Amino acid sequence: MTIERAVMTTDLVRAIWCRELGRDEVGLDDDFFALGGQSVIMVGIQRAFIVEFGVEVPIDQLFRNPTVASITAYLQSQQFATQ
Amino acid sequence: MILRGKRAPLPAQPVVHRRFEAHAEANPEAIAVCWAGERLTYRELNARANQFAHLLLERGLARDGQGQATKIGVCLDYSFDMLVAILGTLKAGAAYVPLDPAYPQERLRLLLGQIPGLAAIVASPATVDLVDVATAPILDLAQSAGELAALPATAADVTVTGEDVCYAVFTSGSTGTPKLTAVRHENWFNLLNWLQLEYGLGTASNNLVVSAFGFDLSQRSLMAPLFCGATQYLLASRNFDPAMAYRILRDQDIRVVHCASSTLYVLVDWEVAVKGDALTRLDYVLFGGEPLHVERLLGWAGQPGNNCTLLHQYGVAECADVATSYDLAGYRRGEHDIAPVGRPGYNTDIHIVDEELTGVSAGESGEICIAGRSVGSGYLNGSGPESARFTAIEVDGEQVRLYRTGDRGYVTDAGELIIQGRIDNQVKVRGMRIDPHDIERALGRLPGIQQAAVVVVRTDAGDCELNAFLVPTGAGLDVDEVRAQLLKSLPRNMVPAGFRTIAELPLSPHGKVDRAALLDRLRTVASI
Repeated sequence: MTIERAVMTTDLVRAIWCRELGRDEVGLDDDFFALGGQSVIMVGIQRAFIVEFGVEVPIDQLFRNPTVASITAYLQSQQFATQ
Repeated sequence: MILRGKRAPLPAQPVVHRRFEAHAEANPEAIAVCWAGERLTYRELNARANQFAHLLLERGLARDGQGQATKIGVCLDYSFDMLVAILGTLKAGAAYVPLDPAYPQERLRLLLGQIPGLAAIVASPATVDLVDVATAPILDLAQSAGELAALPATAADVTVTGEDVCYAVFTSGSTGTPKLTAVRHENWFNLLNWLQLEYGLGTASNNLVVSAFGFDLSQRSLMAPLFCGATQYLLASRNFDPAMAYRILRDQDIRVVHCASSTLYVLVDWEVAVKGDALTRLDYVLFGGEPLHVERLLGWAGQPGNNCTLLHQYGVAECADVATSYDLAGYRRGEHDIAPVGRPGYNTDIHIVDEELTGVSAGESGEICIAGRSVGSGYLNGSGPESARFTAIEVDGEQVRLYRTGDRGYVTDAGELIIQGRIDNQVKVRGMRIDPHDIERALGRLPGIQQAAVVVVRTDAGDCELNAFLVPTGAGLDVDEVRAQLLKSLPRNMVPAGFRTIAELPLSPHGKVDRAALLDRLRTVASI
């Protein structure tokens, strides 16, 4: 499976978070769990990454990086590392 | 109404780890466990477990002063060491208590304080900090590696019987304190033997564990392949990772998965999203633990060429986890309102009784009780009101020991059990039995909260969602702060999804919190 990988930006990530959390707005440094996030929602975010961007994100990384800013930084570090 | 399971012989001493040892003897080079890209043979795993058993025995940790078997807490992530600790504990004649290292420290403190006879906690300081909460010495396998390697790799001479407790797991209690319920070797052996013989599991029945360690179903998922001589696959992930699990299911020859219904939905959704077929190639998924949203499975299950048999099961931690099983292929939309959970396992009976513990007539609804060789030895911590659930009734002039589950159900004309819900307040959220009082107590301990009530809502997708109503002591209660505080004391799946403040809780005519009124309020809010 070859998918042209988009460079993940905070805007792309934020859009997924807003949709999966059912919120209009999410701050870059808002904590996922403090926003009412649950593990099923985390799995929805993980699924969105693979379906929409072809990016497989380990769930432990999503738990370890519970803000839009930190998970975007993680994704970018992974993308640049594999280029 | 009594639904009787098939009577099947068990060995004189049904001791679970003897089966594993027999496979290690017969096929020492077979692969016992794969984890993080590495593998251990039956010979290697057996040798390491023997060494760990010798360590427990040498340090006097397997028996207390009265010669009784101790409890060994196992607070590890999935790893080779976890299986070494479990098997070694059993070999030493002690019982293990699974503890999820991902739990908040406060939760671990509470649980550790509820384990009588706790002699040691196997943990890795790199993973979990137990120094402030440990109520027994911490055993770090990495640190003891040198000592372990010097111990004999052969089995210690320890007599273990079917009556001995093999593990104890925490389950919700009605008073807000988790209950530690003990399972004996006979109970566990009976379960594993039933699954093996009824479903033809063998040395090819490789298994992938996808549930959290503290969960009752994880105990059988961990042991079933080792009982059958097959290979166990463990995820190198602290949290359940559908992406990683799916990749292993796709690339390895896995035949069996045990999971909660909600985990099965997640796996099926993943398969649909990535357009794969790994799940359809499985032999069995054994699942249950919460009300089934069957519509979420039927489309996938009905695909042409789907090889996977879905076994919808029912049981309780107090009785070795599984009591009944139903092949979902028999489910017909329209014929059944609710998917049945089927018939009892070997040497297990289901009694449906009324409030006086008298059997109801066929087709009538009542409390589900479990009898037979799966009934565990009871709660180990305290003598709360739950202890009375282990009781006895007279059937045909004989005393029959049974466990009252608190679940309500009936038996269909076809002789299949249907679960209708709880007769008390407890709920199942993603497979975990939860008592809302447990959460309400934790909320009540926080500053600024006068009173709290927690209710459970079924979402359109079939998931259960907890919602909390808070009566603040003054103005300006910060709900986000409440959630943040709760996350420090409770496992994540017990933290409600929604919090609402309310001036006062509605009461029923009996003066109890009117949960139905609270649910109505949620629906009203949702429809605006």
